[in-house]
Amino acid sequence: MIAQIGLSILLAGVLVYAWTEYRRAPVISILSMLVATAGLYFVWLPSHATRLATLVGIGRGVDLIIYVWVVISLILLLNLHLKLRSQSELITILMREIALANARAAEPSK
Amino acid sequence: MISKQHKNPNTGSIWIVVAAFNEATVLGPIVSDLMRRTYRVVVVDDGSSDATGQIALSAGATVITHPVNLGQGAALQTGIKFALQQGAAFVVTFDADGQHRPSDIARLIEALTDYDAAYALGSRFLGSSRGMPLGRRLLLQVAIWLTRVMTGLRLTDTHNGLRAMTRDGASHIFLRQNRMAHASELLEQIAASGLRHVEVPVTIDYTRYSLAKGQRLSDSLAILFDLSAQKLHR
Repeated sequence: MIAQIGLSILLAGVLVYAWTEYRRAPVISILSMLVATAGLYFVWLPSHATRLATLVGIGRGVDLIIYVWVVISLILLLNLHLKLRSQSELITILMREIALANARAAEPSK
Repeated sequence: MISKQHKNPNTGSIWIVVAAFNEATVLGPIVSDLMRRTYRVVVVDDGSSDATGQIALSAGATVITHPVNLGQGAALQTGIKFALQQGAAFVVTFDADGQHRPSDIARLIEALTDYDAAYALGSRFLGSSRGMPLGRRLLLQVAIWLTRVMTGLRLTDTHNGLRAMTRDGASHIFLRQNRMAHASELLEQIAASGLRHVEVPVTIDYTRYSLAKGQRLSDSLAILFDLSAQKLHR
């Protein structure tokens, strides 16, 4: 029970985070919300997880949940990468303005 | 050498954007040649560690310096923005490594006015290319095919750094891809702008220097990654 509550809180955290990310990266957000919801479901109904696991060819439900967790982490990693990309876009824009403000023209030679 | 007379008399409103990163060994003569043809030249020194900026300046160009290296796409965007700020009627992008011929620029500008187009894109496959290795040729063919699939543009050369745009065309371009994926991004934006484009045969001179600076297969995989990553955010 304790493990289930702990995991639920974590997954709920992922859900909320994914929701807040929706405007910035809708694809990532929806993916992580789906995965987190599935996670919540299986944390509380592990027998379903076991049934689904055998169905898709994984031994135990626990294994399935671990795999799901790995997938969530990878998605969050990708999201982090995308965040870094938009950061560097902002830096680029900033640097461009600085560069443009310091344009040097050749001495007039006529 | 006397340059060919341009149909468009006012070469002063034509800005040539040259993105340069550590090109000190080759840049001087290229800028001088462009200046002789009375174009306005802006060299974007993309955080070079050599004398690129100084050489461009003494050759007569306006120089904009990125404090650190951002990539060719970022440098071109900076140059395009500067040219528009200066009131350019035409903006031309020109590679710094000496593979383009300044004499081709006049033909691009002519094509813009003759065909009432917003973009004139240089094509080495309509023109001629000297010393292109087979691997490079195959790589470019794949890029051409991918461009057709992704943007619907039927081009013969998708990764040619020599292009001319009208002011209207240039203001529809905003490159977010700092690195090499900018060439594909630019074509996407051309397609999205709905403005007319033409392809103009140009000559590419492959030198040992330009080939060493050119793209490899691993770079094209990185380009694909960059393009798809951009689709996922904002």
